Amino acid sequence: MEFLNFLLILWAAWLVLRRPERERLAFRLLVISCLLMALLFLVGTHGSLVPGVNL
Amino acid sequence: MSLSESRLRSILCWVVIVLMGGPVTAAVLLGVLHGDSPCILCWAERTSMVLIALVGLFVIRYGPRPRYLGMAILLGAWGTFMAIRHSALHLARDVGQGFSAAIFGVHTYVWAWVIHVTVLAVIGVLLLFMRRMAPEEGVRELGPVGRFAGGLFVVVVTANALQAFVSTGPPPFIGQADPVRLSLNPRHWVRSFGELQPPRISLRGAWTIPAPEPAAADPDPTHGPLVGLTSLAIERWERIDVPLEGALSGLARDSATGRFLAVTERYGAYLLDGSLGRIVHGVVLDRGFSVDLTPLAAAAFIGGDTLAVLSTNKTYALLVPDPGADESLEWRHFRSTDGQVRELGLGRFQTVRAHQMYVLSLAYDPAARELITVSVPNPRHRQLVVSRFAREDMVLASEFEPTLAEGLTLAAPGRTLADYLVTGAVVSDGRLYAISGAYSTLLVIDLQARTVLAAYAVPGLEHPVGLAARGSELLVAQADGRVAVVGRP
Repeated sequence: MEFLNFLLILWAAWLVLRRPERERLAFRLLVISCLLMALLFLVGTHGSLVPGVNL
Repeated sequence: MSLSESRLRSILCWVVIVLMGGPVTAAVLLGVLHGDSPCILCWAERTSMVLIALVGLFVIRYGPRPRYLGMAILLGAWGTFMAIRHSALHLARDVGQGFSAAIFGVHTYVWAWVIHVTVLAVIGVLLLFMRRMAPEEGVRELGPVGRFAGGLFVVVVTANALQAFVSTGPPPFIGQADPVRLSLNPRHWVRSFGELQPPRISLRGAWTIPAPEPAAADPDPTHGPLVGLTSLAIERWERIDVPLEGALSGLARDSATGRFLAVTERYGAYLLDGSLGRIVHGVVLDRGFSVDLTPLAAAAFIGGDTLAVLSTNKTYALLVPDPGADESLEWRHFRSTDGQVRELGLGRFQTVRAHQMYVLSLAYDPAARELITVSVPNPRHRQLVVSRFAREDMVLASEFEPTLAEGLTLAAPGRTLADYLVTGAVVSDGRLYAISGAYSTLLVIDLQARTVLAAYAVPGLEHPVGLAARGSELLVAQADGRVAVVGRP
């Protein structure tokens, strides 16, 4: 999924640099990529979502 | 001094160049040159940095729109959280035990922390000097530096995508918690869903530890994990006949003087005479500041005049009676005092096997000059651990989970010694006697063999909180101030 996320980022960057009139789509890809990144992090921390120290 | 949009975009070009050419490129080089592979958390943190750079490209291309600013701040804040969460796994380990590769002596997850905080700081500084936020619609032309920043971004992200393909595979495979070294040989590539099979999703994980509730324990010995136990009859009852601040939570006896040390849930520590009918000295400790105490749960005489009181979080206070105590100096230690007690110090017991477990008992072994605690098992950590601490430095000397001697039988599969809730302990004749509030059972533990030699049911107890020895008798203190006297087996 990390590979897929970098492809989404590349797609968004390509739109920004080469098809700037597609700003709306590029920003949506940015948002999707952010959500995917956050989801993958939460999957990786399934045992304890917040740090395992005294809070 | 103010910052025009044109100037802002120039600065952001360099921010993108530094971010992508610095840490993100360094992370790829660690993989290519040293075989370093990111774990699933590292991947998220690296992706976050890339996304921040992408937001920079948006501003370079379209100007400073509010939603770009919002996204950058969200990414900075989330990235900081991710890095703290990730670093917390390793920060407290012993020296040199960080995870994976280090850059300039600092591991990558800590760099992620530094970088995301720096990003937030840079955003703050730029906003401080921004002339105005009103966005101008339209597309900006990229200058030479902007084109270089864009090109560098594409190249570095492509390299990351290739590394991600090798290290984690195509979707739906995901990164691993413990990756293997990077290899271009497909036979060594790992394709994993391991992180999608969590034991359970939790906010605090192993740190979700409820406070011990001895009052809620089942006192019926017949419900305990051991069967066929001999009963010890309560010979008589005695009583602590003086008013204490709060309910009794622990009791110890000094064999040399016959005096008792009683502690209460509300931080009271009282030296009582041998009849339990007079307070010789009494203080109420200040629970806060420096080293925080949770409710006191146990007490012990640890040689000389020194008194040790222990709170449930394994924090101890050492006290000594002193008729010449300076009351003004002791004001910071005690909420109230008779003016004849000094605090020698506060400290915390550090355990290994009993980590993340509370305690309700403390004993002193004069032969070994060691203090002893018995852990309170909890839903996350079902272990009954005996921890021993050297008197000299109060540091852990040894730990063990006692085994059962021959002749002791568990009631059913799944029942263990961890079903007990030890609320009081005392060492006598080289053996550790431990009273369990759950199932009103007395455990006799051989400290050398690390074995439970015997166990006895003590019917009639209600909420025992402490255990002391007096000659051939054991004194089981209850929260209501009554003390059951039983013969020492």
